[in-house]
Amino acid sequence: MIYSVFLWRNGFRRDDRINYLLLLLAFGLHTAAMLQRGFRLDRCPVHNLYEATIFVMWSIVALYLALGLWTRLRFLGAFASPGLFALGVFALMPGLDAPAGARPELSPAWTSLHAALLSLSYGALGLSAVAALMFLTQERDLKFHKLHAIFSLMPPIQRLEVVVGRLLVAGFVLLTLGLAGGVVDLARLDNASAYRGDPKIVWSVGVWLLYLGLIVMRWKFAQGGRRFALSVVGSFLFVLLTFWGTNVLSPLHHP
Amino acid sequence: MLVLVGLSHHTAPVTVREQFAFPDERMPGALLSLRESGVADEAVILSTCNRVELYAVTRLEPPRAFTALREFLVNCRNYRDPLTDEFYSFSEPQSLHHLFKVACGLDSMVLGETEILGQLKKAYDLALQNGHTGARLNKAFQRAFHVAKHVRTETNIQRGSVSVGSVAVELAEKIFSRLGDREVLVVGAGDTSEKTARALLSRGARSILVSNRSHDKAVALAHELGGEAVPFDNWAAEFARVDIVLSCTSAPHFILDRARLEPLMKLRRNRPLLLIDLAVPRDIEPEVNFVENVYLYNIDNLQAIADGYLKQRQAEVARCEQIIREKAEALLVHPHSPPPSSTTRLALNPDQSPLKLM
Repeated sequence: MIYSVFLWRNGFRRDDRINYLLLLLAFGLHTAAMLQRGFRLDRCPVHNLYEATIFVMWSIVALYLALGLWTRLRFLGAFASPGLFALGVFALMPGLDAPAGARPELSPAWTSLHAALLSLSYGALGLSAVAALMFLTQERDLKFHKLHAIFSLMPPIQRLEVVVGRLLVAGFVLLTLGLAGGVVDLARLDNASAYRGDPKIVWSVGVWLLYLGLIVMRWKFAQGGRRFALSVVGSFLFVLLTFWGTNVLSPLHHP
Repeated sequence: MLVLVGLSHHTAPVTVREQFAFPDERMPGALLSLRESGVADEAVILSTCNRVELYAVTRLEPPRAFTALREFLVNCRNYRDPLTDEFYSFSEPQSLHHLFKVACGLDSMVLGETEILGQLKKAYDLALQNGHTGARLNKAFQRAFHVAKHVRTETNIQRGSVSVGSVAVELAEKIFSRLGDREVLVVGAGDTSEKTARALLSRGARSILVSNRSHDKAVALAHELGGEAVPFDNWAAEFARVDIVLSCTSAPHFILDRARLEPLMKLRRNRPLLLIDLAVPRDIEPEVNFVENVYLYNIDNLQAIADGYLKQRQAEVARCEQIIREKAEALLVHPHSPPPSSTTRLALNPDQSPLKLM
């Protein structure tokens, strides 16, 4: 994160290889820690708020490392690092890593798949918001004739808009698959209908509709530019700020 | 000893420079007569629109060589007006420093420009082909070309654009993913808009539309640029298909304002639009910049970017001069060492390498 601040202050004028390598190193250590935890618990580590937060962070960095193979998109790391740092600090808050309580009889495999797909989906949606933030910064600088918009090595805003759109679609597909997995898993319960009004389920449907709306606006009504980028950032902020609360309120997810 | 006599845009106005300029076809004859006069054993004449310089290897003492070379230039070009401080003269090591600075574009009117390196290579080639260079000049010029390459790769002296046309291209590249798919509309067939349109075309812009109050002029410019002329009353109708608009009319009022542009943007389905207003007085209302997906730059904005790049280049001058000093000293201390190439720089000890002239 400190190196990201340095890049910001320098106007993104130097190649961002160091930031990329730092995140690659962190990703390696993060993967090792997650594998260790997964083997110790003998399940995919996505069963409480701490694990879910960590998995979302892991997904964001994994996607960033793939996109960062394109030199000009490496600066996404500088935009993502402060958010990742904040998420990491949040994940360490006491009480989030509580052992899972008695749950309804759900299939562990389906539950793990459901949680993993959703975490990957939030990773893609999170990185889409980071790219949208990068778009907003560059767009504002170009609008107001700031010299560092020209001197920086950031990609053209039209390419950033494409990246935002593609990540959004990838995140939405994963979100749909993850929610569908959850529905299949829940349908196996005898009293499945009792969970119809579960806050987390209602919230998830709301989030799915929100992202569907964004995608329809983008591809059906050619919504683009600043307004679209703001919607993407705003939607992910909504997810970030409400995910934890609805999780705690949900008897299904927080028995 | 390598000496240099010349005049440039720093010391002489264009009215003097143009009288000393050498046409290419006259250079071999001039070099031959200089060598036959006994003043120089080897010589190269560099003649561009900004400078005329005579590099010579001579056995004369520098003061005598300077006088003889100045007289040669004056007589050769049949110059009759009085001269004061137009000529500058250098002997080693300053002559070598100057040659390296010229090759790197540090002495150019546009700091860091690269055209001069091509002109220097051409001047050297012409002298070489006609047998007017020897070991000393070959060595100096080869090293100058190497230093220019080294400075270009190791410093930011040539980074960025310092002309309005090139800045417009850079702006377009910050907005659009690819210039290859972009259509450009030129409103007003002026010199600046033509240069800017040419710069965009040279970087791959797909096609050019030209609109001008005099339709004949629009047709002529469109023909030159390989584009299409559009009637002046109808140019706004093209907004749905164009991505970049260059405006440079002599209209005394705005020809495009926010009220006119906003409905046109709906036809564009939110694609970005770059408006470059090169006119004074301005053609485009500044309020237009507040329309979403529209990026408006006027001539002052472009000039500010060009000045910013120039400042960056100026900040690099000290680094370049340090490199030049080191390279010139190395050449004077080890006159027979070849310039280290990028591939052999680490592998070879220059002191032990054989002399390579070409």
